[in-house]
Amino acid sequence: MRALAQLTLANTREFVRDRAALFWTFAFPLLFVLIFGLVFSRDSATQYEIGLVNEDASPQAGVLVDTLEAMDVFDLSGGNLADEIASLEDGDRRAVIAIPSGWGASIDSGSPMPVDIHYDETRQSSQQVVVPVILQAFEVVDRTLTRSQPVVRPAFQTLRSERLSTIDFIVPGIVAFSVMNAGVFGAVNIVSLRERRVLRRLQATPVSRLTLVSADLILRMVLVLAQSAILIVVARLVFDIRLNSDAGSLAGLAGVVVLGGLAFLAIGFFLGSFTKTEQGFFPVAQVVTFPMMFISGVFFPLEFMPDWLRPVINVLPLTHLAEATRQLMIGGATTIPMGVAVAAMAAYLVVFVALAVRLFRWE
Amino acid sequence: MSVIEVQDLRKTYGDVKAVDGVSFAVEVAEVFGMLGPNGAGKTTTVEILEGLRPRDSGAVGVLGMDPGRDAGNLKRKIGVQLQQVSLYPRLRVAEVIELFASFYGRAGVADHLLSLLGLEERRRAFVKDLSGGQQQRLSVALAMVNDPPIIFLDEPTTGMDPQARRSLWETIEQFKAEGRTVLLTTHYMEEAERLCDRVAVMDHGRIIATDSPEDLVRTHFAEDAIEFSQRNGLAEAEIESLPAVVNASIQGDRVSMFSDDVPASMAALLQLGQERGEPIQNLRLRRATLEDVFLKLTGRTLRD
Repeated sequence: MRALAQLTLANTREFVRDRAALFWTFAFPLLFVLIFGLVFSRDSATQYEIGLVNEDASPQAGVLVDTLEAMDVFDLSGGNLADEIASLEDGDRRAVIAIPSGWGASIDSGSPMPVDIHYDETRQSSQQVVVPVILQAFEVVDRTLTRSQPVVRPAFQTLRSERLSTIDFIVPGIVAFSVMNAGVFGAVNIVSLRERRVLRRLQATPVSRLTLVSADLILRMVLVLAQSAILIVVARLVFDIRLNSDAGSLAGLAGVVVLGGLAFLAIGFFLGSFTKTEQGFFPVAQVVTFPMMFISGVFFPLEFMPDWLRPVINVLPLTHLAEATRQLMIGGATTIPMGVAVAAMAAYLVVFVALAVRLFRWE
Repeated sequence: MSVIEVQDLRKTYGDVKAVDGVSFAVEVAEVFGMLGPNGAGKTTTVEILEGLRPRDSGAVGVLGMDPGRDAGNLKRKIGVQLQQVSLYPRLRVAEVIELFASFYGRAGVADHLLSLLGLEERRRAFVKDLSGGQQQRLSVALAMVNDPPIIFLDEPTTGMDPQARRSLWETIEQFKAEGRTVLLTTHYMEEAERLCDRVAVMDHGRIIATDSPEDLVRTHFAEDAIEFSQRNGLAEAEIESLPAVVNASIQGDRVSMFSDDVPASMAALLQLGQERGEPIQNLRLRRATLEDVFLKLTGRTLRD
């Protein structure tokens, strides 16, 4: 155990003291997110589109409508409820406020009817900005109408919009792509240790191969998790990407990231057993990872790919990792079911671990 | 008591007989040297003893264990320094020592080893910032983390300046004084003469001779060596035919001839030079060395 802890510590020190490794692991994927986010983010406007459905002709309803219209951050549009909800589902509205028929009369009778606020729960800004501003408007109306007790009772109706923005689609792809790179290129550590004859030197000590590999795995898995977490948190804070933030989805996401990371690390070990030097490893790893970045549905939906390429795309490990990551992060229909994606990554892991063990050389 | 025993050891890589029937035994608290040029089979022999390479045939025992069968237990008991290892560049010196100590379930050994190898001041330095000689000393320190009774040193002073080399020689003498056994490979003649109780001279995968450095020289050279430079007027056979000369060799413009009767040989040489108009320069008289033994036995110099 002491040996495992010390080896993990040694690998960690080697990593954090290597600025290039830090850049490629953390800053590079983040740059991708920032660049794509700035290009594709649709939330650049400072106004939020709000649907207002007013089915009540009372003066009280008039006050509420006037108050909402006076809020600069809202771009109001009216219509019937069905159309506005459809627009919300399409992502063209941030929220829909529905004043029911007879609302003014219900206030007069002393038991006010609720006012529905429909919003998209997958958008952080809806919960953190749009809804609070609406509630603020409601308080203004309360004071205008009664000065005593609240009469505008909000009722929250949440839904999940189907339409995804480009950045919603791309961030899970970048997470998957970064896991692939961290995995495949992470294997360079073993290649480098072998090239510098450190593996030979370690072979002359009682430390076991299992301990050696475990120490490497621990660091690599911590890195892919940290990398994914940073990417997702930054994308969420800066670009308000859609994210299923329930514990189940997040745990599943962590599991998929680790599974994908292990599978790609095994692929990296396999590639590393054919290259003698660190310099020789990089081009080989590039040849394997670079094409996948473009055809595995990282940046473009798989539907955009030509049919003749689909059989190839469907077996690539990055396709499965990207689809699984996207499904867990933003939900919705995908072309590959979750079970298939997980099974495919597990298969890659088993096959390439077996090959890597078989081809392993100390020198 | 022998702590290392090797009988008819053989190892072939493809067509190359790297080790071709090597036998020797190393006694406890002995410094045993393997002397030979690169490619002589020293490293292969040592790495088989360390349990790092399988052998083709022959019997090998280290501390009574067979490195081919019991490498796991053997590795706990031996200290190993290998050639051309470049350790973790971004670890500090003391961190590397503690890392290796952990493989043996030990801790807190860095201070002692750093002072033993004269690296106290480099304790917090990154490995990549060490000089070549300091890196060599660190790799010797790593061979000591488990306080082993046997230490294998594979060309430990390569790349060291003369001062660092002498300081490591003192450390190795201290190992011996502590009762440790040292198996050392080298292609430095002075190193073998200074440190080794016995030397095995190796070439082309075979041991040509095994003895103490003094006895090796005495057996092969009862004579003293006369060295001189010439332009190229005198041939080897001509020099060997001079009175009392038993053996001569020419390396470039430098000639070594071994004589039973130095005054007679030297007088004849000077006369021959004068007759032929060949200036005899940088004339020097010295004792024969291991280098001469090696040259006589193999026809090559150690650094070929």
